[in-house]
Amino acid sequence: MFAGYETLITTIALGAILAYSFHVVLMAGQLSLGQAGFASLAAYVATLVVPTEPLFGSLSPVIVGLPVGAAVGAAAAFLVGMPVLRLRGVFLAIGTIAFGEMVRVFMNNAEWTNGALGMRVEKWVTFDFAWIVVAVLAYLFWRLGPSRTGRAFAAVREDELAASSMGVNVVRTRMLSFTASGAIAGVYGVMFAYFYGRITPATFDFGLTVDGLITAVLGGYLVFFGPILGSGFLTAVPEIQDAVGLEAGWIHPLVTGLLLLAVILFLPGGLSTIFNRLRRVPAAPDPGRTPPDGLDPLPDRGTEIARLRGLGKAYGAVQAVRDIDLEIRSGEVLGVIGPNGAGKTTLVNMISGLEAPTSGEGEVLGVRLAATGGAHRFAQAGVSRTFQHSKLFDRLTVLDNVLVGTHAVSKSTYLRRLLWLPSARRDERRALALAWAQLERVGLADRANLRPGALSYGDQRRLEIARALAAHPTLLILDEPAAGMNHVEAAELSGLIRGLAEDGVTVLFIEHNVKMVLDTCTRLVVLNFGEVIAEGDPSEVAADPAVVEAYLGTEDIEDGEVEHV
Amino acid sequence: MAQQLANGVFAGSIYTLFAIGFTLVFGILRHLNLAHPAIFTAGAFVGIEVATRTEIPVWILFPVIAAFGALAGVLVERIAFRPLRGRDDEHFAGLISSVALGGVVIALLQARYGTEPQSFPQEYFPNQLFEFAGIRVTLTQLVTLGLALVLMLGLAWLVSATPLGRAMRAVAENPTAATVVGVNVGRVTAGTYALSSGLGAIAGALLALNLGQAGRELGASIELIGFAVIILGGLGSLWGAMAAGVILGLAEALTIHLFDSTWKSLVAFALLFAVLVLRPRGLFGHVKVREV
Repeated sequence: MFAGYETLITTIALGAILAYSFHVVLMAGQLSLGQAGFASLAAYVATLVVPTEPLFGSLSPVIVGLPVGAAVGAAAAFLVGMPVLRLRGVFLAIGTIAFGEMVRVFMNNAEWTNGALGMRVEKWVTFDFAWIVVAVLAYLFWRLGPSRTGRAFAAVREDELAASSMGVNVVRTRMLSFTASGAIAGVYGVMFAYFYGRITPATFDFGLTVDGLITAVLGGYLVFFGPILGSGFLTAVPEIQDAVGLEAGWIHPLVTGLLLLAVILFLPGGLSTIFNRLRRVPAAPDPGRTPPDGLDPLPDRGTEIARLRGLGKAYGAVQAVRDIDLEIRSGEVLGVIGPNGAGKTTLVNMISGLEAPTSGEGEVLGVRLAATGGAHRFAQAGVSRTFQHSKLFDRLTVLDNVLVGTHAVSKSTYLRRLLWLPSARRDERRALALAWAQLERVGLADRANLRPGALSYGDQRRLEIARALAAHPTLLILDEPAAGMNHVEAAELSGLIRGLAEDGVTVLFIEHNVKMVLDTCTRLVVLNFGEVIAEGDPSEVAADPAVVEAYLGTEDIEDGEVEHV
Repeated sequence: MAQQLANGVFAGSIYTLFAIGFTLVFGILRHLNLAHPAIFTAGAFVGIEVATRTEIPVWILFPVIAAFGALAGVLVERIAFRPLRGRDDEHFAGLISSVALGGVVIALLQARYGTEPQSFPQEYFPNQLFEFAGIRVTLTQLVTLGLALVLMLGLAWLVSATPLGRAMRAVAENPTAATVVGVNVGRVTAGTYALSSGLGAIAGALLALNLGQAGRELGASIELIGFAVIILGGLGSLWGAMAAGVILGLAEALTIHLFDSTWKSLVAFALLFAVLVLRPRGLFGHVKVREV
């Protein structure tokens, strides 16, 4: 059927495998460029273990090489990842390039690799074998996309802080994508060796890395078959040029370069953009359905859920928060007000695990406020939050944003999805129902398939609240939720918060709209210069002279003095 | 030994000139311009052609190459980066579009000059040899070092003491705020690319002058060294890049002296790797406070 085109078609498959090793890190937003090094290590190690005769008479010996290559690639990526994954963006890119080059120079100088001359092996990879490998990879990524793990990748790509506040273990997710990338690169190295029959250290150079990255970005990471599209495109272009009679030489790279430029400039998201528009939109569950079951009950009203003792936070010489003693009890709506720079955001950052206190101690839902562990542990314990400046996942739909919120209360479905276990489908449906319920709660169900950027400012704030609610939080922290809202929207928000409290959710919220705070909260804390200056019943606190002074200043001003506390 | 170290300094000065193009654009605009190595190569080829055709003296040749590079840099920004501004995938897309444009530039060089390496005309530059304290130095090397020093000092002066430099620093700090106070960000962007690519083109011609010839892979051969220099020096730090270029040149020279030239680039990348892991802001970079 493909007579005469076997080599071409196999080349597309190999290009796609290489591109998948970039696809998986791009999905998680990591610009990792060490794949050439992983592929090189895997290919050379495989030459040591792959038998020289077909197995059982006919089976391709490369079958032994693939798991070995994947294991070598994954192990190398894990070891390199431990120091390197502290880096991000261009630093991560250049650090991983450096690793790849170190491998190349090492292989060039080692004796068992036969140096720059390289090694010869049998050409055992046929085109059907190559496409079976591609099909397996495509299947793995097809099942990954709409799973809990796939959503965690996307969340880390879009915003690491927001992802960790939703319970995603960012460090683990980045390492997972990095290790998977190493494994796929390892498979590529082995496939390459046994397709071309020869490897040299120069095979796995920086040019290979650039090719893989281009293929992956060109294909796009929004659909699972992006790498195949990219590889098909890049392999076909020179062939088509040949077919239409363009002579080789400089015209080929020129046309390829121009086409690549055109795709990148005019198709944001690569070739997959064309297909992504066809994606099926998940339908809303039947109206009137009961909310999903199996959620842990919230603690009884009045239970202590957080206790802070002498908590303080210093940034160098600046003491942002000092000596805070505070209890939070289940079911209350605790308002926090204070002038700009009073330490409100620092306080909630500590309670939600984004920052560690520098003095004092505290415990929230059984998790100690400390330097280690990360914010996702707080989210998993039942703390969920929004941010002063919305941190939405811009390239996910409104519904997908909220689905990420269910991370902390759902189980990983990926491995079960690979096997089509019904329980995985049940869990995904449950997460979907939970997400829809939150969208309905904040009144955004009719905009579920828009991007956050298409929503009004007030709707974006509501979406952030829906996402936080999807985690079924015990303690919901809202950082200036009414900022930028008009008084009608603020009143609606106030109603929503009181409704949540009736459902048993404890709410801690920072707000500058004092009227709204007084209307909403059951207890009020006032911060100034990092200290609690008043606390208690809202109307009493609001009348406290110290509070009035903090907000309006003292009367000493007419004497020409400004009093600093 | 001393001879090797001297050679290291000369090589380092070319690394620095090349890498400053990367670091300037990244430091001010947060673009990693992967078309830079192609401009570097083009600088060498254009220099050779102009020298061959017109036989103008060197001190006119280099301003011509710089002007060519500056123009090419402005075009790179217009074609590969400006259309992406504001897109969610601006950073990844910019890498790919600049790689693609770099490929186009190399293809055009092939169209004009073929696949054979090009050489400066015989006797174009006097091949004089000097000897100081037992170290042999060619006139080319001295001119390279001198020109690199003058250009780097000139750049440092430009960035620290002129209105354009001030505007560049403002854009680096905060483009939106710079626009608000009246900085013409479009012009600063064009100026940054012009400077970066002008220096890159000169660096390419200098390397060709030192090697005697230039092939299409000239830029690719130095690209990774350029990454190493900008990271070692701290991304965006001019003085850091200058120091790091020379440090790398010396480290390579020492490796060749102590081991073997095949290990040369391992040292550069091992150094780079170690610095990234132990001190990500580079040897001379500033601490950037992460925003929450």
